[in-house]
Amino acid sequence: MGVPVKYEIIDDDGGPTLILKDQLTVSDREVFDTVIDKLLARKRSKLTVDLAGLDYMDSAGLGMLLTLRDRAERASAEVVIRRPRSEVRELLLLACFDSLFTIEHT
Amino acid sequence: MPEGSPKSRATRCLVVDDERMNREVVIANLRAVGYETVPAEDGQQAWLTLNAAPDDFDVILLDRSMPRMGGMELLAKLKADDALSHIPVIMQTARASSEDVVEGIKAGVYHYLSKPLDRQLLLSVTAAAIEEHQRYLRLRDEVARRTTAMILMSSGTFHFRTLAEANNLAVSLARACPRSQHLVVGLSEIFTNAIEHGNLGITFEEKAKLLAEKRWRKQVDALLDAPQNRDKRVTVTFERLAGEVRITVRDEGAGFDWRRYVELDQTRAFAVHGRGIAMARQLSFDVLEYRDPGNEVICLIRGGEQPCAPEAAPAPPPKVVAVPPQRAVAPSQAPDEMQIACSMQSELLPPQAELDWLAKRYGVRISGFFEPSSALGGDLWGLDPIDDHRFLLWLADFSGHGVTAALNTFRLHTLLEHITEDRDQPAVFLTELNQRLVGLLPLGQYATMLYGVVDVREGSFTYAAAAAPRPLVVCPGEPAVQGDGSGLPLGVSRTARYVDRVLPLLPGSVLFMASDALAESPSETGQKLGSAGVANLVGEVVTARAGEVDVNSILAPFLATVQRPLRDDLTAVCCLRPE
Repeated sequence: MGVPVKYEIIDDDGGPTLILKDQLTVSDREVFDTVIDKLLARKRSKLTVDLAGLDYMDSAGLGMLLTLRDRAERASAEVVIRRPRSEVRELLLLACFDSLFTIEHT
Repeated sequence: MPEGSPKSRATRCLVVDDERMNREVVIANLRAVGYETVPAEDGQQAWLTLNAAPDDFDVILLDRSMPRMGGMELLAKLKADDALSHIPVIMQTARASSEDVVEGIKAGVYHYLSKPLDRQLLLSVTAAAIEEHQRYLRLRDEVARRTTAMILMSSGTFHFRTLAEANNLAVSLARACPRSQHLVVGLSEIFTNAIEHGNLGITFEEKAKLLAEKRWRKQVDALLDAPQNRDKRVTVTFERLAGEVRITVRDEGAGFDWRRYVELDQTRAFAVHGRGIAMARQLSFDVLEYRDPGNEVICLIRGGEQPCAPEAAPAPPPKVVAVPPQRAVAPSQAPDEMQIACSMQSELLPPQAELDWLAKRYGVRISGFFEPSSALGGDLWGLDPIDDHRFLLWLADFSGHGVTAALNTFRLHTLLEHITEDRDQPAVFLTELNQRLVGLLPLGQYATMLYGVVDVREGSFTYAAAAAPRPLVVCPGEPAVQGDGSGLPLGVSRTARYVDRVLPLLPGSVLFMASDALAESPSETGQKLGSAGVANLVGEVVTARAGEVDVNSILAPFLATVQRPLRDDLTAVCCLRPE
């Protein structure tokens, strides 16, 4: 840990896509809050989080996704999670996040 | 009335009975001897009255069966409430089976009276309860008043001879321990016993007679002055060890048949006194151990040293196997708020006495492990009896750690005590708990939880899960049976629904649950167990030890190699059903 989350935001017609890489853990909370600010500043109705490059997420990472969902909801935006892999995918399933988010596996 | 009453107010009794006639008979009798009385028509009204003025009552006379809230239910609420648990409850019942009596006494009843009321007995029992309560209040006030450096003491030896010296020492030593207010009564009881039943050789029956004749105090003073007793002392040694305080009390008497008094039994349920040792054991100590022939007793109080060093001072990694939870110790510091918070948190965990009691009642051996990653943790586990063959077992883990997560454990603990309906239906209960947490938890915070019912008659663990690691059931020689921990985390969505799942839990098998730190914490070489690794670990240890396991033996291989300090709070519970 100690390495801040690697992220990138790509904008296209469907709205912004947040691409997360490597790890999302408890030490990323502050960075993630500013990421949420940036995403919401786009004022789009759909926000996509692409997890194809994310190898590991801890329980705090789940909390960050929940914060994103909550703040997006207040801004009338929907959050779509895309392509979670292996451990991250298992964690999302364990927490039944498919009932909170749209999860696209391709 | 005893001298030195702690309050200037009159002695006041709360009389709870749904039948007006019964109520008025009791009230008339109590008023006739000068007590003030306040009536209540059922448990609920009594609860409101007591909460409005917790310090106004010296005794509660409680009918067992009433509509709305019955006597046993009120009793349970009282005993779970710190502000009210000390008020003695005298239970009245029309049909007192001895099982009922023992159940009531285990739940904390001071005394049982059967209806129709015997006036003389009502008054003598009430007087004894009031006196005991006022003694408690005096001791409690003394503990609160006494500022002391005793908290810094690591070991010491004390001698006393008289009842006054005994009380004085009880107050001082209680201040040196965690949970001092609860402890002082137990210590005072044990010290008093050492004088009267030990050095002075007064038997249980003699004391009953002396009390009835109001000659007890005088007789004790006379015996203390007798030549054969004048030089007898009680010796107390105090030792502060890792995680516990050990107090050893030795008198110069011939000993006594202590086995009769350690457990409350039905034969003594109706006796006016003689419950002091058992009550002390229930209320004050984690372990109370007599040494034959009964003139030496060892009292253990756990949580003596708290894991409360500042977060920046991690303890060095241990090099031994079978490691107990690490305690980063700050023995020379006066207790600050953090230490108080730590000791409050460790009090939320089930005490050893309760685990021992469960072992007897249900034939299961339960052990728990709790090591926060910093001073305070965001995990909690607990258990609670339901009936003669079922009990609750649960483990919760709040997101994050440190103070924020710890505050949530206190919230959860309070909630669990207030949701009394459907406790034995895990899915329904978890759904209700979730709805309450949704309003309480700040944005982005949540809890994972396993909440289940162990049924030793059916041989099952019925549970509901909220995003928790899988519960495991293992029989020696077989691979672990993995349960399903999936479900929405608690506190996230108001509409979350949970489902009941069942694992078999037959004699010879082990139920194991742990927070996600077990699967997720990297070892010194960077390896994580993962959920499959946890199942393997538990299966291997249970098989290697042919089922003779506790939580420490299961965790030992993990603890021996994990990076310290832990990155996340680790809590684990092991429930063994022996063959």
